[in-house]
Amino acid sequence: MLDKVRDLIITNFLAILLGIVASGIMLLFLGENPISAYSILITSVARDTYTFADIFVKATPLMFTALAFAFTYKANLYNIGAQGQFYIGAVIAVASSLFLQNIMPGWLALIITLILTLAGSGIWGAFIGFVKAKYNSNEFLISMMSTYVALNIMNYLLRTHLMEAKGEYPQTDALNTSVWLPKIVPGTRLHIGFILAILACIGTWVLLYKTPIGYRIRVVGYNAEAANMSGIDAKKLYVLAFFISGALAGAAGFTEVNGVQHMLVQGFNSDIGSAGIGIAILANGNPIGIIFASILFGALKVGGTIMGQMSAIPSSIIDLMEGFVMVFVILAYFVRNWMDNNREKRKLQKAVVQ
Amino acid sequence: MEAAFFELKGISKYFAKVIANKDVSFAIRRGEVLALLGENGAGKSTVMKILYGLYKADEGQIFKDGQEVKINSPKDAMKLGISMIQQHFSLVPAHTVTENIILGNVHGVIDQKSAREEIKNLAERYGFELNPDDYIRDLAVGVQQKVEILKALYQKANLLIMDEPTAVLTPQESDNLMHFIRDFAAQGNSVIFITHKLKEVMHVADRIIVMRSGVVVGDLKRSETNEVELSKLMIGKDLEVLNKNAKPKTADQQPRLVLENITVEEKSGVPALKNISLTVKQGEVLGIAGVSGNGQQELCEVICGALSPTSGKIYLDGEDITTSNINERIARGIGYVPADRGRYGMILQMSIAENMLLKTSFDKKWQKSGFIDQQKLNQYTLDQIKEYSIKAPSPDSRAGGLSGGNQQKVILAREVDNGSKVIVLDQPTRGLDLGAINHIHKVILEERAKGKSVVLVSTELSEIFALSDRIAVLYKGEIQGIFEPSELTTEKIGLLMAGYRLEEVSKDA
Repeated sequence: MLDKVRDLIITNFLAILLGIVASGIMLLFLGENPISAYSILITSVARDTYTFADIFVKATPLMFTALAFAFTYKANLYNIGAQGQFYIGAVIAVASSLFLQNIMPGWLALIITLILTLAGSGIWGAFIGFVKAKYNSNEFLISMMSTYVALNIMNYLLRTHLMEAKGEYPQTDALNTSVWLPKIVPGTRLHIGFILAILACIGTWVLLYKTPIGYRIRVVGYNAEAANMSGIDAKKLYVLAFFISGALAGAAGFTEVNGVQHMLVQGFNSDIGSAGIGIAILANGNPIGIIFASILFGALKVGGTIMGQMSAIPSSIIDLMEGFVMVFVILAYFVRNWMDNNREKRKLQKAVVQ
Repeated sequence: MEAAFFELKGISKYFAKVIANKDVSFAIRRGEVLALLGENGAGKSTVMKILYGLYKADEGQIFKDGQEVKINSPKDAMKLGISMIQQHFSLVPAHTVTENIILGNVHGVIDQKSAREEIKNLAERYGFELNPDDYIRDLAVGVQQKVEILKALYQKANLLIMDEPTAVLTPQESDNLMHFIRDFAAQGNSVIFITHKLKEVMHVADRIIVMRSGVVVGDLKRSETNEVELSKLMIGKDLEVLNKNAKPKTADQQPRLVLENITVEEKSGVPALKNISLTVKQGEVLGIAGVSGNGQQELCEVICGALSPTSGKIYLDGEDITTSNINERIARGIGYVPADRGRYGMILQMSIAENMLLKTSFDKKWQKSGFIDQQKLNQYTLDQIKEYSIKAPSPDSRAGGLSGGNQQKVILAREVDNGSKVIVLDQPTRGLDLGAINHIHKVILEERAKGKSVVLVSTELSEIFALSDRIAVLYKGEIQGIFEPSELTTEKIGLLMAGYRLEEVSKDA
């Protein structure tokens, strides 16, 4: 067991290192000095509390979208529509906040908004599970295409019912400060949504591994035929899993709107759905692993942006780095298996000789 | 003495967690039939897969006619004249016999006509009744096996390795196969066949290699040994003899499970089960004999609720349960041990404890304020591990890491508890070693003595005869008749299983 934990830490550390080295080589091709680029990256994210706290601000929605992918993944389903569910969540969050902020105290408006967001984006997600269960549609395609529908619904609303009072840009009015998510570190953007995201990760883990319903979801994911033979209705669980998945992705919309943007702007955070998939894979679908993987990606994001501002290096090099890290972490998974196999083999050979 | 045709020297193979072979050495001469005997997991298939190039040995050498050879792939093996027929056939159902046989042996423009002729001649030479133009999907399993054999012959193999070749055959088909093996060997070719059936070994082999736990424990001439010695070598200890006298009388017992005119039609309209009526009494074992694929799985699924019949009724203790779903039937006390345990019976990626929960995750007894009561579940699993002597380090061990026999014991333990009234067992001992088989048979008889009703589906006739109070023979979804064991002989039941009607059988017998 100890060997396994040691392997896990060493291989993942090496994978991240290799990812950084590989993207460093790419920097050489761009005619930049990777060492100075990286020193900017490292010093920049730690330069002040505000920037450092921003790592966790960026990690927050990523945790939610990664959980959204990981959750259905456990039921052997693929929800690649977290982006769309996130948009639906954001639209509901902003609409509900704008409406409720004037008629009730902020805390109550926030709670109701959260519930509405979860319910609405959950139902949006559950639709994918429903057509999968009912018509055996390919959830991969449906979830992907539903993102475009959600995007267009959002764009439509931003130009009509939700458009700012000035009527100039496709964006909403700013929210009252009463419905902003409270800060947890003064002087930074870090808001309570980060705590919610951590709780969601832990909650998802508990749901999956400690409750009968999570148990059944995993059973269906591993072996739907055995599940059916055991009286577990896989189709019902498809809908449920997609509901929870959609609600998780929608929660990211809530924390981004009420915690960071305080309004809804067209085309914002257009890549957190795909980043979430990457993080979920990086964490091997483990909700607790998602916490750490999201923070790593949050750090890369923050560092990359500053690096782009402070040097001639395009900030997109960070995307490249994320890609490399992901590839090497996935390779590390296979290396670990191989090491584990060999260790068992050696043990056997030794036992035979003695 | 001439050099052996093929010789294995000091072959060892380690998989993660298990030694599959340790220092395995033996030789096969030309014209010899060699039986590789051993329990499941003894390493028979592994050593043959090494010889056939599917696995690479970690240590050891292979010689052909005294020359060392390297076999890195089945292609190398075929070049040396080795061919292996796997337990699961590798044929393309949508292709014809000819197309399957020439697969992988043709290049450029295919001369269908001459290939067809050659195959026809080969088939005739060995007395196989086979049409080269038939599609594989239309052929019975026994015939498919012949196609596999022809494929080997077509490749001019002179060492034929067969992995459990009789597992899927009727007694008559097995006899034919044995004839062929003798025939083939008489022409100077060699055959190695892997088996755990002693009877076949005594019937056809010239020499017998006995393996246990990855090592060779015996290399004997058939003429110098007997079944008792072989079985002792194979399992390393004496078997407990089943106590048949412990059978209670069942004639006056209440009927428990009643099937009335059950018909199941598949989507194509072809009936998988036709007009099945049978009764299982309390404390009775009803054996279902038949060649696999004749409706056994459908019958079991109808009883446990996974498949709803097109027409007919099912009663449990007099109550109509035809429309109740799987969960209701589990709650009513119907347990089911499916034949394909990895596919239908357990979640290989999950722990033993989680597998114990599989059918009762809705049951409040495993819950504590909404969460799974892990402590209770672990304790229960630990008790079951002890009671069924399941070889597993802890309730947290992954089910997929257990041997087949231990996996089956996990399912059996669960289903014996679930099935408080009826236990349906589909091929409960298929592919298991004798020790595990013995244990499972004991459990079946114990549960029967407690008054449970058992439906036992098996293709293993000895098992059916040893355990059943009555025997039903299933052929193409129909019951050929229900008999007392004393009314049947192996030959008679073999003919019934092959589709002969009772009247025809009686006439012949």
